[in-house]
Amino acid sequence: MTTLRPSRRRRAVRVDRIGLYGLLGVAAVIALFPIFWMLSGSLQSLQQLLTGGRLLPTTFEWGNYVTAWVKGNLGVYLLNSVIYTGCAVIGILIVASLAGYALARLEFWGKNVFTVLILTVMIIPAPAMFLAQYRLLVNLGLANTRLGYILILITAGIPMSTLIMRSFFAGQPKDLEEAAAIDGASALRIFANVILPLARPGLAAVAVIQGFGAWNEYLMALVVFNNNNLMPIQRGLTSFVSAETPQPQILLAATMISIVPVVVFYLMAQRQIVNGISAGALK
Amino acid sequence: MTVSSAKPSVTGAPRIRHRGRQRRRLVGLLFLAPAVVLIAVFTITPFFQAILLSFQSWDGVSPDTPFVGLANYRYVFADTEFWASMKNVAVFGIVGFFVGNGVSLGMAMAVQAVTRGKTFFRTVYYLPSVLSVVVVGMIFSSLLDPQTGILNRMLHSAGLGVLAKDWLNNPAVALPTVVAVFIWLHWGFGFLLFLAGLQDIPKELYEAASLDGARFWGKFRYVTWPGLAPVTTVVSMLTLLAALQIFGTVQVLTNGGPGYHTMVPTLVIYTEAFTNNSYGTAAAMSVLFGGALVLLSLLQLRLSARRNRA
Repeated sequence: MTTLRPSRRRRAVRVDRIGLYGLLGVAAVIALFPIFWMLSGSLQSLQQLLTGGRLLPTTFEWGNYVTAWVKGNLGVYLLNSVIYTGCAVIGILIVASLAGYALARLEFWGKNVFTVLILTVMIIPAPAMFLAQYRLLVNLGLANTRLGYILILITAGIPMSTLIMRSFFAGQPKDLEEAAAIDGASALRIFANVILPLARPGLAAVAVIQGFGAWNEYLMALVVFNNNNLMPIQRGLTSFVSAETPQPQILLAATMISIVPVVVFYLMAQRQIVNGISAGALK
Repeated sequence: MTVSSAKPSVTGAPRIRHRGRQRRRLVGLLFLAPAVVLIAVFTITPFFQAILLSFQSWDGVSPDTPFVGLANYRYVFADTEFWASMKNVAVFGIVGFFVGNGVSLGMAMAVQAVTRGKTFFRTVYYLPSVLSVVVVGMIFSSLLDPQTGILNRMLHSAGLGVLAKDWLNNPAVALPTVVAVFIWLHWGFGFLLFLAGLQDIPKELYEAASLDGARFWGKFRYVTWPGLAPVTTVVSMLTLLAALQIFGTVQVLTNGGPGYHTMVPTLVIYTEAFTNNSYGTAAAMSVLFGGALVLLSLLQLRLSARRNRA
């Protein structure tokens, strides 16, 4: 009797664990299957797809990728996305770290007003603004330009990034900047040489969140651009569909190509990304 | 001697310190200036321009934007498409809130409970969240396609052919299908935050609960749920706002069809402006819908402020 009880409990624990891993496995299949289908479908011929879509290609049609790349103009779109994402992230890092530092460490008139302002603009949603933002860009002569789109991306990223940087700076010791101030260094110099190097984890969190945000942005790209040579990849994909009505396997190949940069980056910088996103939303 | 040498330093030091403080004040404003200027030009100005535009008529090219009073609002209030989209997006919001957040929380607890493979499962579950709304739309358009897609094919092979449907064109299932795609794409985000929240709950609390005889439900009720409360507030709100602002996925999957069965407000606003060239009515819609979203955010801020005080 006494020997039976622990073993029964152990069996119960084992059954629990099998059930748990079963659940985790099913969820993993659900999360991965659509992506797997994109890969598999992108390597099939139109005939294979029309005869009812096989789970695995019978012959691998690598040529689909060449067709997608050439017909889809993907090189141009990907390069544009790299430009927009790079400029947006750098711009946001500069503007938001300056502002976050000012709000965390400097005393000046109207500090509380500006803090409230930044919190308030965060709750203005894109659907309330994109129309008027477009009109503003038209009036400024910035519609259908790279600069206009980049400025919109930077502005969209500022409030949240400023708050992340503010809480990051507020948690840092003051000793170093005080020492540098006594040595007579200017504020900008202290900021660039003392503060920023220590702020790397905060900057990384901001860069990761805003990098994904800028790469995946679609609504403003749709509204701002009608010149195909300026479109980022997300906008380019939908333009490819409406202009060329590509065959399904070609479209899948184009979509597959479009996710390679984000997926590779995600798998490489996985830990920083996970930490950055948690920090961004919860701080 | 001692008095005369002390005197200048007494009066001099505060003056220098005072000047330094004034300069620091200017520095603070200068550091903040780029952020404030960008926000003022590209967020606050358009916000008010949208309100102004909702009382005007504009075709998108003409330099004249005559005032039309409340005509745009009268039009929008009578517009069946807009209200159909509001009803649909409420479904996105409610199902996303309960089912989406429920899946996120449940899976975070499941991953937290196992010892091996945590990183693997976390990586896989968050993967859909790094894809763009366009990509997700493209993937599921293909997967759900009645001719070339794999889903119906698999249902037939499993002997469940009766369940095969034209998922995105059948009015009876189109909305639930698109909502399911939204949950597939979005649950990883809440999952990630819940998992971070679970890891911050001290283990001693669970041990103490065990000693008090708490089983799974008791631990959840008295340790996990209260411990996660701040994360739950943030996640629920962000999921809800993401669901209500859904646009790209719907545009790619169904473009609002069949009929208005999957139409959502952001897509109506976009179409009204950029396809129908009726920017004034589109602005009135964005004021009504955007205003509702702002009210929701304010309500949430109030609630979480009250909870933080308590």
